[in-house]
Amino acid sequence: MTTTEIKQTNGKATTERTTFSRTTSVSIEIKADPSIIWALLTKASDYPRWNSTVTSIQGSIALGETILLKSTLDAKRTFKLKVKEWEPEKRLAWGDGMGNRVYTLEKSANGNVIFIMNEKIGGPVFPLFAKMIPSFDQSFEQFAKDLKKESETIMNSK
Amino acid sequence: MTTELFNQEFETVTGPLKSYILRITASIADAEDILQDTYIKALEKLSTFREESSLKTWLFTIASNLAKDNLRAQKRWVENVTDITKEAALTHKEFFEEAMNIRQTSPQGQFEVKEHIAFCFTCISKSLPLEQQLCIFLKEVYEFKVAEIQTILNTTEAMVKYYLHTGRSKMINIFEGRCALINKEGACHQCSELNGIFNPKQNTQHEIMKIEMAKEAEKGDKEHLFDLRMSILKEIDPFKSKASALQLHHLEHNRQVMEKYSEKKSV
Repeated sequence: MTTTEIKQTNGKATTERTTFSRTTSVSIEIKADPSIIWALLTKASDYPRWNSTVTSIQGSIALGETILLKSTLDAKRTFKLKVKEWEPEKRLAWGDGMGNRVYTLEKSANGNVIFIMNEKIGGPVFPLFAKMIPSFDQSFEQFAKDLKKESETIMNSK
Repeated sequence: MTTELFNQEFETVTGPLKSYILRITASIADAEDILQDTYIKALEKLSTFREESSLKTWLFTIASNLAKDNLRAQKRWVENVTDITKEAALTHKEFFEEAMNIRQTSPQGQFEVKEHIAFCFTCISKSLPLEQQLCIFLKEVYEFKVAEIQTILNTTEAMVKYYLHTGRSKMINIFEGRCALINKEGACHQCSELNGIFNPKQNTQHEIMKIEMAKEAEKGDKEHLFDLRMSILKEIDPFKSKASALQLHHLEHNRQVMEKYSEKKSV
């Protein structure tokens, strides 16, 4: 699924499954300047302060860098991820051999920002462990909700 | 603007400007140098000053640019700076001897808990990214508006708001976790301990309860407690206060300790 195919911006996650992959997406409208959203998405050490789904991120979120991410989805596991795309205020992607997560910021017709988060996991051996991977839906919805709340709080501050 | 009028107005801004640079660099010598350079640069460019902003905003812009290029301003410290510097002070006999001498002989050698609160904030604020530290001081202590800070730091309104919000949130969390004045579980009692050393005849608890922030602590409103902490900083000129000689001595010590600490870490 490409980001432009996502029409809803209600913060509800959707998941599509095929034999060899699973793709979860969420989209939400944020009334804030894209620079604020981008700053929140790219400041690794600050994530736990505003994002209730991320326990910690070590490293620098910059193109080609490797980060170590711990999330509430699997508290015991540390994900070693490489930052693969980094286009300020537009697109950020990180991932490993199993999959990629892409964050996209688009301008809406009314001047707000449409934030889209999309993660595709899969590969030839995906069917063997597909049932062991928890659903991302709730975590994605929470991520989007937290980002919207923090961005709009900053935007509305005096 | 004539040179004469500029000189008069510069004089009125000197105090806040110098204390701002001191709080960013943690260095007396650098604060004096940058203040002087700000004056020279402003005088050179006086013909280009079109009064689109106030002279105070314009001078803070020049000083901030100079401070951003200053190596000591760029250096970032750690959140537990006061633990590291306390440990160093305890093994440094001359530090206490000199401090006691200042306490006994200098007219600006008093120890006051409030002054130490301001000093402590200056040290811990150096653990924030520089932009966040600059924004916090400009807004919360020197009372610039967001639009003015945007001009001073040559950035956008959105980014000023981002730096302010994140910097403020981080400082609130740090003090909530450390400061025993606002949290009974807080590990840092340094202002009380030092008051016991420098003012042995005083009842320290009584002195602490004179401070609005400590009185309000039980209500647990973190944002309000932070505002009260900022009001303490607003009241104090670190170069002219009754405790300035003692606190500047303390700040120089902390900076030297943190410079050595950074060197060790980078090896």
